[in-house]
Amino acid sequence: MPTAQSPAVALEEVRRTYRVGRPVEALAGVSLALPRGSYTAVMGPSGSGKSTLMNLVGCLDSPTEGRIEIDGRPVTGIEDRARTRIRGESIGFVFQTFNLMPRLTAIENVALPLVFRDVSRADRRDRARDLLDRVGLGDRADHHPNELSGGQRQRVAIARALANDPAILLADEPTGNLDSETGARILDLFDEIHAAGNTVLVVSHERHVAERAERIVHLLDGTIERIEAVDGDETEAGGDDGRTEPVEVEE
Amino acid sequence: MKPVQSLRMSWRAIRGHRLRSTLTTLGVIIGVAAVITFVTLGASLQEDILVEVGSEEASNIYVWVGPEDTNQGGPGFGAEPVFTSADVAGIDDLDSVENAIPYTIWLTENVQYRDQSVTRQEALRVTDPSYVADEEFADGGPYDPGENEAVLTPSAAAMFATNVTVGDTITVTTVGGPVDLEVVGILATDDSLSPTESFSTSPRIYTSPEDVGASRFLFLIVDAGDPTAVDRAREDTLAYLNDESEASGSLPSNYGFQLQTAEELLGQLEEILDLLTGFVSGIALISLVVGAIGIANIMLVSVTERTREIGIMKAVGAQNRDVLQLFLTEAVILGLIGAILGTGLGAVVGYAAIEFIGIDAYVFPTFWAGIAILVGILVGVVAGLYPAWDAARTDPIDALRYE
Repeated sequence: MPTAQSPAVALEEVRRTYRVGRPVEALAGVSLALPRGSYTAVMGPSGSGKSTLMNLVGCLDSPTEGRIEIDGRPVTGIEDRARTRIRGESIGFVFQTFNLMPRLTAIENVALPLVFRDVSRADRRDRARDLLDRVGLGDRADHHPNELSGGQRQRVAIARALANDPAILLADEPTGNLDSETGARILDLFDEIHAAGNTVLVVSHERHVAERAERIVHLLDGTIERIEAVDGDETEAGGDDGRTEPVEVEE
Repeated sequence: MKPVQSLRMSWRAIRGHRLRSTLTTLGVIIGVAAVITFVTLGASLQEDILVEVGSEEASNIYVWVGPEDTNQGGPGFGAEPVFTSADVAGIDDLDSVENAIPYTIWLTENVQYRDQSVTRQEALRVTDPSYVADEEFADGGPYDPGENEAVLTPSAAAMFATNVTVGDTITVTTVGGPVDLEVVGILATDDSLSPTESFSTSPRIYTSPEDVGASRFLFLIVDAGDPTAVDRAREDTLAYLNDESEASGSLPSNYGFQLQTAEELLGQLEEILDLLTGFVSGIALISLVVGAIGIANIMLVSVTERTREIGIMKAVGAQNRDVLQLFLTEAVILGLIGAILGTGLGAVVGYAAIEFIGIDAYVFPTFWAGIAILVGILVGVVAGLYPAWDAARTDPIDALRYE
């Protein structure tokens, strides 16, 4: 059961090995805790394990070894159905390519996660309308994605990610497909969402995006290289094996 | 996910590809339409005959003697002229029988008109005037018994170089020698007037037994008066024939009395129709299999096209079962649309065919329409099962990366 003490996300000695011919270790033992209400960025060159980390935290994938808890609930060693349920209830995804359903309107896209939780149609509409208002798109509710600008699409995606009031909002290069001005406004929205008490994890290779967070986790070759607090202080990663103790952010 | 929701989402996906969806269902449409057309045709034909037979002849029993233990060949198969005028009178007197009349083919050597002789062995039909009394006449009317009068079918009137008209006299030469008959009526059509004529349209000359000295008959037509009284009349007639009739004395060996009601005769027609329906259904089945493959094929394409959407749905919490349900629903809707359109098309084509052939009744086969809808659903399920399973097991990580 989630307790007040349990972090939003906790990873313990997480390894993920892919077998394509010879084994490739995408994550080689990562321990990390994301406290409730924190705003964390993950940076690293391609192949550093960013995507793997994202998929594991997002319950899209299972680690080869180690333990992951979301909202105090273990998501490792459980069956696929249960993992999917936790994904629907506790994770909100924001993608670089927005990933909206092309045939659904903005409001229907936002309400989509609620469909799979059998929320009634009226309740879904109410909730989706609130969220669209919150991201500033109340007047675009009945537009299809192809009638919206990139920034508007990403706002719809963010509203959708918040539909189930998730324990953590996962954003993978959320400004990657946007011009800098639109991107900045999306990042402002993340700031607002964080300020409202949500836990946010952003993956980006852009420094200015990562700097919006409270701290930046630098990944290299499947291990945490260092954790940087955005005010300038740095925490070096632990011993030679690259493991890190869970790090709490100073409030 | 609630079924109504998956219905809504699947319907939207189908509407997104209107032309493709329509073409996909074509196989099912054609298969179902073929069956519905034929069944409509068959049922209407049956109804038409039923109305024709039903109004006047539903209470009729057709009696002849034929080989025992045979139920083939239809009415009159192997019939022998054994019934006498006394038998007709005896059955006519039975309480449960309203009317009994004889009917036979009285062999002729030839038929003459104005010095022209035509060889016709089976043209002369000897029966009671009531047999033709209710028919539609092109000219004139029924004959009176014992007055040397005759009624001709249109083709019989046209057998000679000059057309026979009412008031003319023709000469028929039978075993008893030539007999002059005055033509008093010509029928409107050549259609057979009862099952004793085996639905034939050959030239026929009707006259009464007295005029040609006919004393033995192939058939008895027994009218019970009311369709509900048929069973009793049938029993009584059979009892009379076995116990009291003169016919029982001249029964050839291994022969028995054959009694069939109009209803039973219809039953035989039904058997033939069922056989044909089975044949057409076989062809339709092939069409439905092709239709199912078409749906399965387009569903597989659809699953591939929407890989990314499947990834999105799974990312926001769709279970495998939800995805399965969505795609299966889509396939079932396609099958159902095919069945509904096919039923409509079949009803229209069936109607057109009935108009073309000239059948007077139109019966829409509700039962078969129901079967068609069920088949549509079944085709959808069978065709959609593999694609839906394929969609359900899609890995969300790969799917989200899919371009």
